[in-house]
Amino acid sequence: FLPLCVCFSLFPSVVGSQEKHAVVQWFSRITELPLNKRKLLRREVSPQEIFLDKAPGYGTDINVETIIKNVKVIPLAPEEVVPVRSKGKQIFFVKESWDGKCFKPLSPGLLSELKEAEKKKRNIQMEIESRHSASKSSLSKERHSQRVANGINTPGARKKLQLNSMYTAILYLIQKMVSNINTSNTMQNLLLVFEDFDFSLQPEPRTPKTPRNATPRIPIRNQATEKPANVLEEARLRLHVSTIPGSLPCREEEFQDIYNFVESKLIDGTGGCMYISGVPGTGKTATVHEVIRCLQQAAENDELPSFQFIEINGMKLTDPHQAYVQILQLLTGQKVTATHAAELLAKLFSTPGPKRKTTVLIVDELDLLWTRKQDVMYNLFDWPTQRQAKLIILAIANTMDLPERIMMNRVASRLGLTRMSFQPYTYKQLQQIISSRLNHIKAFEEDAIQLVSRKVAALSGDARRCLDICRRSTEICEFSSQKSASGLVSMAHVMKAIDEMFSSPYINSIRNASLHEQMFLKAIIAEFRRSGLEEATVQQIYHQHVALCRIEGLQIPTVSEIIAICSRLGACRFLLVESNNKYLHVRVRLNISQDDVMYALKQE
Amino acid sequence: MSKRKSKETSSVNGECISQVQRILRERFCHQCPNGKLFGVQLQYKHLLELLKRTTIHGESNSALIIGPRGSGKTMLLNHVLKELMEAKQVRENLMQVHLNGLLQTNDKIALKEITRQLQMENVVGDKVFGSFAENLAFLLEALKKGDRDSSCPVLFILDEFDLFVHHKNQTLLYNLFDISQSAQTPVTVIGLTCRQDILELLEKRVKSRFSHRQIYLMNSFDFKQYLRIFKEQLYLPAEFLYKPFTQKWNKNVQSLSEDRTVQDVLQNHFHCSKDLRSLHMLLMLALSSITVSHPFMTGSDLLEASKSCRMDSKANIVHGLSVLEICLIIAMKHLNDVYEGEPFNFQMVYNEFQKFIQRKAHSMYNFEKPVVMKAFEHLLQLELIKPIEGLCVRAQREYLLMKLLLDNNQIMDALQVYPNCPTDVKQWATSSLSWL
Repeated sequence: FLPLCVCFSLFPSVVGSQEKHAVVQWFSRITELPLNKRKLLRREVSPQEIFLDKAPGYGTDINVETIIKNVKVIPLAPEEVVPVRSKGKQIFFVKESWDGKCFKPLSPGLLSELKEAEKKKRNIQMEIESRHSASKSSLSKERHSQRVANGINTPGARKKLQLNSMYTAILYLIQKMVSNINTSNTMQNLLLVFEDFDFSLQPEPRTPKTPRNATPRIPIRNQATEKPANVLEEARLRLHVSTIPGSLPCREEEFQDIYNFVESKLIDGTGGCMYISGVPGTGKTATVHEVIRCLQQAAENDELPSFQFIEINGMKLTDPHQAYVQILQLLTGQKVTATHAAELLAKLFSTPGPKRKTTVLIVDELDLLWTRKQDVMYNLFDWPTQRQAKLIILAIANTMDLPERIMMNRVASRLGLTRMSFQPYTYKQLQQIISSRLNHIKAFEEDAIQLVSRKVAALSGDARRCLDICRRSTEICEFSSQKSASGLVSMAHVMKAIDEMFSSPYINSIRNASLHEQMFLKAIIAEFRRSGLEEATVQQIYHQHVALCRIEGLQIPTVSEIIAICSRLGACRFLLVESNNKYLHVRVRLNISQDDVMYALKQE
Repeated sequence: MSKRKSKETSSVNGECISQVQRILRERFCHQCPNGKLFGVQLQYKHLLELLKRTTIHGESNSALIIGPRGSGKTMLLNHVLKELMEAKQVRENLMQVHLNGLLQTNDKIALKEITRQLQMENVVGDKVFGSFAENLAFLLEALKKGDRDSSCPVLFILDEFDLFVHHKNQTLLYNLFDISQSAQTPVTVIGLTCRQDILELLEKRVKSRFSHRQIYLMNSFDFKQYLRIFKEQLYLPAEFLYKPFTQKWNKNVQSLSEDRTVQDVLQNHFHCSKDLRSLHMLLMLALSSITVSHPFMTGSDLLEASKSCRMDSKANIVHGLSVLEICLIIAMKHLNDVYEGEPFNFQMVYNEFQKFIQRKAHSMYNFEKPVVMKAFEHLLQLELIKPIEGLCVRAQREYLLMKLLLDNNQIMDALQVYPNCPTDVKQWATSSLSWL
């Protein structure tokens, strides 16, 4: 938030007047740059690093009197590292320039110029400080926003300096120097800094604290990942759900609707909500992200007003109220408690900020934000209705009737009627998705793709499932002994993958159970038939079991063994077993249909 | 001279036997990854390929290993991991996180454990700080930072997977599966569970994110293979020190497997339970009968072991009761027969007992009521009877409603082997009407 500038020349504003003006080049600290743009740097920035601010719109002509303090600014070539100098001196390093959109290394010409200036004019670097009555942070923020907005209004003109006697001496020095410069009549480069507060107030760095907000990361792998070696591996890579496709086929309409909604709100500078529903795996989140990506692109090309994009996910919160904390942190970087965050956000959205950017907020898994009082949902949908808020909310959830089912009237009403539901994919769409992902890699037979899509479309229309099956079939194809002549994934492979994923395990595992376990299941059915109930005690089943064993001529198991068998079957959830210590009187139910059991046992 | 020689051989034998017991016990008790896998080659290959792709190609995956208890789920995973770790490329590139549903009983504990095992804990000293929400954000951010090409793949192993399903909102599972389906740090989530209905327990959005790879272990071998496993489990390794003994031992194992009684024992055991842990239990018991004077396992050892394996615990308790207590149990049995399993109280049992004493008993002493009550309460303590739940908690002791936890068969079997049981008691047991 602290404006810094380099002074290129000094001159009297009107010939003969006492006021001296300077033409300056502004610098920005990292804290002045918008939060979301800081990530573009992809590195840690030391507080001593500043950026040559080339964003247009700032006044470059300032009153000399507003200059308070000088610091040393050392230009660095792009490959140089910012040295760590902790103590005492106020030294800044400049390495990259910032033009409001992206960072660029300093041009060599400018670099050498700055270097020259630094070498020659070491003695005239000035140290000037200005005093402001308002609090530091709010003022600086305000100043930043105003500076962005109103370049003509230079900080110098805006700030009435309240110089006390302490600073007069410095000022005198400057004026003297300025006159010197004027007499020598040369272009002078001065490095100047405007400061809000004194650096000496900052505590000296002590023993390094555990970085509370350090960005954690998973270690880097030692060897590089292998590139896919053959067509099947390549296909598998492309079919992985995590691969972000170049385009999202089959959701053009929904894409357009959401895009238009957000775009219109952005242009109008108003807020609004949209509710998006659909069963899992129908591309809701992907489509919304795609929309945001396109909008960001448009904003970057200055076709749209720029906006801030944040995202929360109900499933990634431990508690609905944590939503406030996350939103606030994403918006401003502050870390506070949930209740405090709610207050701050309410204040933020209800007070008019003249040049506030629109915020686009995605709330994924909305139903998880449900609380008894529904205050989180209420607030979320209440903010956009306020004129100053400029908040666009895209809420995503699975069920279409969520607003009617779980929301109170006042919440549902605020959510509004802008709804959209994502239908499950049809088989044609799934087919298109697979082929567009494969993108002309010949790994599947046409029929195989069609089979997968038809199967999945009939079951759920879940694109994730579809891709998973395809991926599995490439594996089966790769390791199967009888490769199809073409080496492509064929119908047989796909069938096998589908079987693996969807076939019920019960029948097969009953067939592989031990003889007495099967007998126990038979005894249960016999007992159910006898009693006409769907529930029996272990004792009753034991009697049936003994009778069956006598018929078959098997060794009769003891009660302990029967109980062990019962609990084994219960652990696999073939049976539902009462959990208490009633021993023989424990009640047992079947967890599978009797027909399934009979079918499984009859085949032998 | 000959004496010395015999002493020598016996000392060798003693050393030898203890070595044999050590090796075999290790085999039976530990799930050592050196042991052999039986009949799961396909599953083994599937899992191995899956994990290989994770480490080498950085591909995210998720899979469940499902099978009944004792079917070798953990063993399979350990084998696969062991083979995987032999490759240098894998060893240096894989991070493992082991969680167990019985230990990490909620997501908060699980998250702390994950951060600890990934060694990126936000700690001061060795104390993990931060609230649950902070920990989750911390971990998610860490995993989000990575990407397929540069980050170390992380393998999450969730033992007792079904218990994680019951965590609030299934937050942990959602996030793990979500990471495995998005372009973040490559992770592979392997769950182990014995529940066949596990997929129905997953919430629909969690289920959608799960890749539906299920690896089933079923104990799908028949008796012939079971016999072979039995032999494999008992064979001494070729590198065993005492070669001649090894030969003799292995020959004995071979002949054991062809013995009729042994096969019967094993067949019965196989019928009861296919899981290899119970076979290990049987062999363990048989192994403990091996001594220097009895150096080779015999069929009768196995028979004995099998008997003690399938012993009925409640019937065993009955063997140790006094005659009075036996009489009470018989009285209860008759009450059960008459009232078709309806609960009874002490007074009813006492009356039944009195009937027996007055009309039939010759050898029984007519105990006073408090003594009988004491015997009754002893049965209660042994949990041979149990008060029925719910109503009548405040009733007098004599009128508390009880249920017998023994089956008629168990009582009759126990009486058969009860030492010195008076004949009239035995007769009374067979029929309550025998005095008529």
